Amino acid sequence: MIQFENVSKYYPTKQGRRYVLKEVNITLPTDVSIAILGPNGVGKSTLVRMLGGADYPNKGDIVSDKKISWPLGLQGGLQGSMSGRENCRFVARIHGYKDTKEIEQKVYEFAEIGAYFDEPVKSYSSGMRSRVAFGLTMAFDFDFDVLLIDELGAVGDANFRKKSQTLLESKFETTKLIMVSHSMGELRKYCQAGIVIKNQNLEFFPNLEDAIQEYEDTYVTAK
Amino acid sequence: MAQQKRSSLQITKDTVHALLMRELKTRFGSSKLGYFWAIAEPVAQASILAIIMTIIGKSSLAGVPVALFLISGVMPFKAFNKTVTQLSVGISSNTALFAYRQVSPIDPILTRLVIELATFFIVYMIILGVMAWLGLDVWPQDLLALISASLLLLLLGFGIALCMSSALLYWQDANKLLGMVMTPMFFISGIFFCATMVPAKYWYLFAWNPIFHAIELSRDAFFASYTTPVGSWGYLALTSLSFVTVGLMLYRVNRIRFATL
Repeated sequence: MIQFENVSKYYPTKQGRRYVLKEVNITLPTDVSIAILGPNGVGKSTLVRMLGGADYPNKGDIVSDKKISWPLGLQGGLQGSMSGRENCRFVARIHGYKDTKEIEQKVYEFAEIGAYFDEPVKSYSSGMRSRVAFGLTMAFDFDFDVLLIDELGAVGDANFRKKSQTLLESKFETTKLIMVSHSMGELRKYCQAGIVIKNQNLEFFPNLEDAIQEYEDTYVTAK
Repeated sequence: MAQQKRSSLQITKDTVHALLMRELKTRFGSSKLGYFWAIAEPVAQASILAIIMTIIGKSSLAGVPVALFLISGVMPFKAFNKTVTQLSVGISSNTALFAYRQVSPIDPILTRLVIELATFFIVYMIILGVMAWLGLDVWPQDLLALISASLLLLLLGFGIALCMSSALLYWQDANKLLGMVMTPMFFISGIFFCATMVPAKYWYLFAWNPIFHAIELSRDAFFASYTTPVGSWGYLALTSLSFVTVGLMLYRVNRIRFATL
């Protein structure tokens, strides 16, 4: 369970505070995978970042006793000046692993980017980045209860998609997803429930189809 | 491999260790000469000053051989300078890593403090070792006091860097201002002179400067022949702790801003 206690998040703009979330009180289950729905700029990524501890609410608290991953996305997590391998080492170390060799090897094998693994991440294409980023969470075998995914699949090639899908499915029993994607097909494949961000609030739907319906009714105006 | 829950302190320790490995690589490993420069820089600076002193006909200052006198001023000042400049940009050079919840913004600052402390003591020992080999008597008269003065000075650097980190959030050019302040500091911190070489009526020009106090106290501790008339432990400790306190408060206030830079 992830509990939102009176959570407010705003960004200061020239026109004053622009609220993304305002006094949100909600409890999200962690026994189902959840899709986050909303148009661009409504705060999906911010929500995921706050869940992952990369960003903080301006007011209130997000409390959970589950192990939640960091936000897996295009920019998230990888430091450009370090190589893929160094990034792996770093993440292993902050998670308390003393011996990082095994993890490096796992990510290396998963990412399939060959010698690039020892080049700085800033020289990677976005597809290569997401391979390493994804391999990192997977290879670690942290046994995360919840994996946060922010548009990660969007840049992968067919092979990578296939591979990550198999991996995700093999972990479904223990690891649930909280996922942002603009591809409904992808969301339907992985998620059972949904959240729609609406009026600076979160609306939870235990059934994904209801959430998609609500999202389309609220936001999709172009027919 | 299942992990058991770590305490906050344990997490910070692991994170600082991870950052340490990363920072050492960028600080010293980027060029093969990285470690060399850490030693060559203060030596070169002291040498130039020593040459000037020799040219104007001084072979000892306050009863201490010129080279040793200068190194005992250059080393702490260099370390202080490096601490302030390196630590104050510690946050901005590690922003991508705050995506991990384990990494909080103060971690890179702590990491860099560890690096500067270690570099300072190692380089100092190597230089003194070489000087001893060349036949100078380099054993400090009061080692504990020398270490204390150096630690207080670096603590001051840590405090100032914390304040600078917060200042940089609001004003990017604060770094330029810092550079402008640090350059004249070299001349008024008693690196190539000490209080007894200045008429007592002018002491007030230097007595406000905590770096001057730190260097005076270092020399007092180092050389049996020198007793500082100005250096005050109380003043140095007070300024250091004040800066650290203010710095930590500013950090606490701005911690969310740092993390979402």
